[in-house]
Amino acid sequence: MKARHLSIIAKKEFRGLFSERTILLAVLLQLFIALFSSFLMVGLTSMYDPSSLSQYSHFRYNVGYAGNDSGMLSTLYDSPDFRVFKMDLSTGVAALKERKLAAVIWVPDTAPDADEPVKITLYTLQNDLQSAIVDVKLKDIFLKYEANLREIRSERLDALPLLLKIPSSTGGGDFFEFVYGLLIPLLVFMPAIIASALIIDLITEEYQHDTLETLVSTPVTFSEMVWGKVLACEVLVPVQAGVWLILLMINGIAIQNAGLILLHVTISSLALILLGALTALHYRERTAAQFIFSTALVVVILLALSLPSNPMNLLTRLAVGTAGAEQWIVLVIVMAVVAVLGYATQRYAERISRINHSG
Amino acid sequence: MTTLPLAGESGPEKLCMGALADIWTIAKWEVKKSFSLMNRDVLPLAVVLFVLLVVVTGFSAQSGLHIQDGMYRVGVDDPAVAQMLAGDARFMVYQLDTPTLIENRDAFDLVIVNGFVNVGEGSRAVAAQKTLERDYAKYVGSVFNEQEDLFAAYPLWIDTQGITSELDFMSTQSGQYVSAAPPRPGAPVPEGTIEQIATPSSSLSVTEDELREQLVTSNAKNTQISRYTDALSSSSSTMGTFKTPSQLSPPLPFDSIIIVFVFIFPLYFTSQFFMMSIMNERIERRGEILLSVPVKTSSIILGKMLPFFLGMLAICTALTFWIGASPLIILPLIPVIFFFLANALLIGMLARSFKELSFVSIFFSTVATSYLFFPTIFANVHVISLISPLTLIVLTMQGTAWTVTDYLYSTSLFWLTSIVLFYIAARNFKEERLFSEKGLVTRMREFLSEILSKKRPFLSLFLLSGFSIPFVFMVQMMCLVLFFNLPMPFSLICLLLLAALIEEIAKGVGIYTLYARDPAFLTWKNLVFACGATAIGFLVGEKLLLFVTLAQISDSIFGSILFLSLGSLWLPLLLHFVCVLIVACCLKKWGKAGFVPGLVLAMIAHCVYNLYFLLGWLT
Repeated sequence: MKARHLSIIAKKEFRGLFSERTILLAVLLQLFIALFSSFLMVGLTSMYDPSSLSQYSHFRYNVGYAGNDSGMLSTLYDSPDFRVFKMDLSTGVAALKERKLAAVIWVPDTAPDADEPVKITLYTLQNDLQSAIVDVKLKDIFLKYEANLREIRSERLDALPLLLKIPSSTGGGDFFEFVYGLLIPLLVFMPAIIASALIIDLITEEYQHDTLETLVSTPVTFSEMVWGKVLACEVLVPVQAGVWLILLMINGIAIQNAGLILLHVTISSLALILLGALTALHYRERTAAQFIFSTALVVVILLALSLPSNPMNLLTRLAVGTAGAEQWIVLVIVMAVVAVLGYATQRYAERISRINHSG
Repeated sequence: MTTLPLAGESGPEKLCMGALADIWTIAKWEVKKSFSLMNRDVLPLAVVLFVLLVVVTGFSAQSGLHIQDGMYRVGVDDPAVAQMLAGDARFMVYQLDTPTLIENRDAFDLVIVNGFVNVGEGSRAVAAQKTLERDYAKYVGSVFNEQEDLFAAYPLWIDTQGITSELDFMSTQSGQYVSAAPPRPGAPVPEGTIEQIATPSSSLSVTEDELREQLVTSNAKNTQISRYTDALSSSSSTMGTFKTPSQLSPPLPFDSIIIVFVFIFPLYFTSQFFMMSIMNERIERRGEILLSVPVKTSSIILGKMLPFFLGMLAICTALTFWIGASPLIILPLIPVIFFFLANALLIGMLARSFKELSFVSIFFSTVATSYLFFPTIFANVHVISLISPLTLIVLTMQGTAWTVTDYLYSTSLFWLTSIVLFYIAARNFKEERLFSEKGLVTRMREFLSEILSKKRPFLSLFLLSGFSIPFVFMVQMMCLVLFFNLPMPFSLICLLLLAALIEEIAKGVGIYTLYARDPAFLTWKNLVFACGATAIGFLVGEKLLLFVTLAQISDSIFGSILFLSLGSLWLPLLLHFVCVLIVACCLKKWGKAGFVPGLVLAMIAHCVYNLYFLLGWLT
């Protein structure tokens, strides 16, 4: 196998990609998703934790209180978030419909130490961003009241949980696991999946457009052609993944160990690309190859995700900076898989070219 | 090759039946062909992979998805606390003695000493604290669920009643906050009639055991996988609206993400095969046989599409039954399926190579998925979320009712664009288009050229620009999303520029196509007529669509603005006319090279107009 032949094939594929300007679409797509994901983050953060939208946080919401007095009333009066009006239930709900109130609470005359629970009825508006915020703020009030009632009834409890004193939260943080535990591994791994779909296209195209004969008649051998295409796809992975990391960082997401992340992605992606190459060599027809490959991909990825310390998990840990020495063990395992697949690809390609020559 | 037994009888009364029979024949042929492609080699392996998939799914359901393992480091001194945290793989728990912990507290995100939690620095530590809070709440829940006296552990229950406000869309549109602090002191007084609300009963309508069961299941739900799949196990439990305070939280958008992907991914997958089937006809001119049969092209396309459509429908139905949702959710999915198929058809007809097919289809599906997906985040929040049909699915799964107008509102863009795309594809499904090797842009232009009539160019232009409106709306919606996160003045400027540019491209493309087909066509007289037809078509389409979509928000107010004030329509008409005229003149003067400068000039003119009215409106 000659390195020059490999690079010739790889260059040919790149020229094809550039002349069709399809690579432009890939770049556009990345930009699109990057912009889009930061839109999502704003949307998600505000949904998870509405108080993070500062414009809503200084608001005092009007709440109607109907029914009987309870320990909750004083908590409500003390709360900086609410302005409480005692009123008749029907009037309150009518005012709620006209958006003059944010919520109406009805409290029954159940005694705090009664056998039965206290059942509060809460009327809120449907389909409204603010009512989601009001719900979150009312939840705090209800939780306080619940703790209060639990205290009163504590003698009736037969076991108490361990006590943990957690400092009151500073806000934010909900969104961390979504970004580092889902978005980053997904985005960084996407180039690997694209590259493995691309190798199928590149190989089946030669078969289905009958250009293989011309290519094999050159000094380039069949297996060199296959490896050249693998090389072309492989080179794309760290480039695309690197662009992702840069785009995410521009969006204000700090990513640690970027270099190591690229190393892991590049090597794991080689396994997927070789898997794609094998499928394509076997079927020589795009529909069948893509079908089998995508199903196999789902199986492989699902299996990998079910194993502890899988490559995706490693990306998460590397990005947040909690990866330890176990990453090298994983890397060695992945490299062993790559070696096996590479050997299989080489043997298979040799076999095909032997059949071609004899036939 | 298989021969096609065709019902090719003529005669108007038999035409309809004949077309149906043709479609059926082609569909059968398509199925047969797909199965012969999936030859003896594919099927056994596919079966093996499917079995493997089931096995692996079972395995991962048991072991959980280990993607967020070991994100946080926690140091504890109490084995009981370590035991409590061991269930959550996100924590790496180190059990050490108290002095060591205090000394090395910087190495941990959380340090728990004597029951006191010390939170470290940085966003990772804050996130760790959030996770700990949830785990702790779960743990406390599991202790309380075991209590003999359940109502001592859970003394407070809340019954949530959703009230629909009559004012919702308009008031949020005009920037009015819900229940803004009243200007005067004292309780707010409703202006309308007060309906009597029955006093709620003070007792729960369900038994203690049922409540305990619900608490146990809702507490157990928070496992590794259910963090992602909560939505699927239809979250509305039998308890209806009764909740403890800690169960009271706003609906999480994660639900929508899962639903969207569960439904969109199979659609995307299947449309890939449709694309490929179209592409296969074009490789080595294989489709010539199909084209040579005496069947209308629309029948060929519909016939080829039918198996895929039915397949997608079957998948969606199966999914619906699997997650136990109401069959109503199929309804909003149908236009989405058509939209995917229409695009797959065009992409399959346009792409020159497999690579191009892959990239274009990935690009399309990402854009389409985000268009479908982003509004559903706000499903519980705002009416605007209805621009995506998938919001109707989210609503159905929650048990919220929607009306026929809701349906029309959220699906009309999808129906319209699919129909237009199918029409373009049907007109171009012939030899010289399918087997040409030209570039993507040239081919797109040729496709358009095919639907512009030579005999009635102005009517065609009118229709073309009118029907481009749904596409313009869709693209402009995407831009809105894209620029959402830029800082304020930039986002507005970018949006203004791009919105104008998109409109100008939509208007200019028809005239450009005509010019490219026959430069001599563009005499000064024809030029003015062409611009007029385009401008009127655009205006009519714009107003019509605005009316259809906004009518559901408030027919009275918007309707009157749009239709009673016809007198002020000449201003936008003039704008459209002038802008197209700029593009057309540039084309006439400098040829094809003048198109882009013309667009830029028209965009500037459009922006100046917009700015004038925006600023005038502001002051």
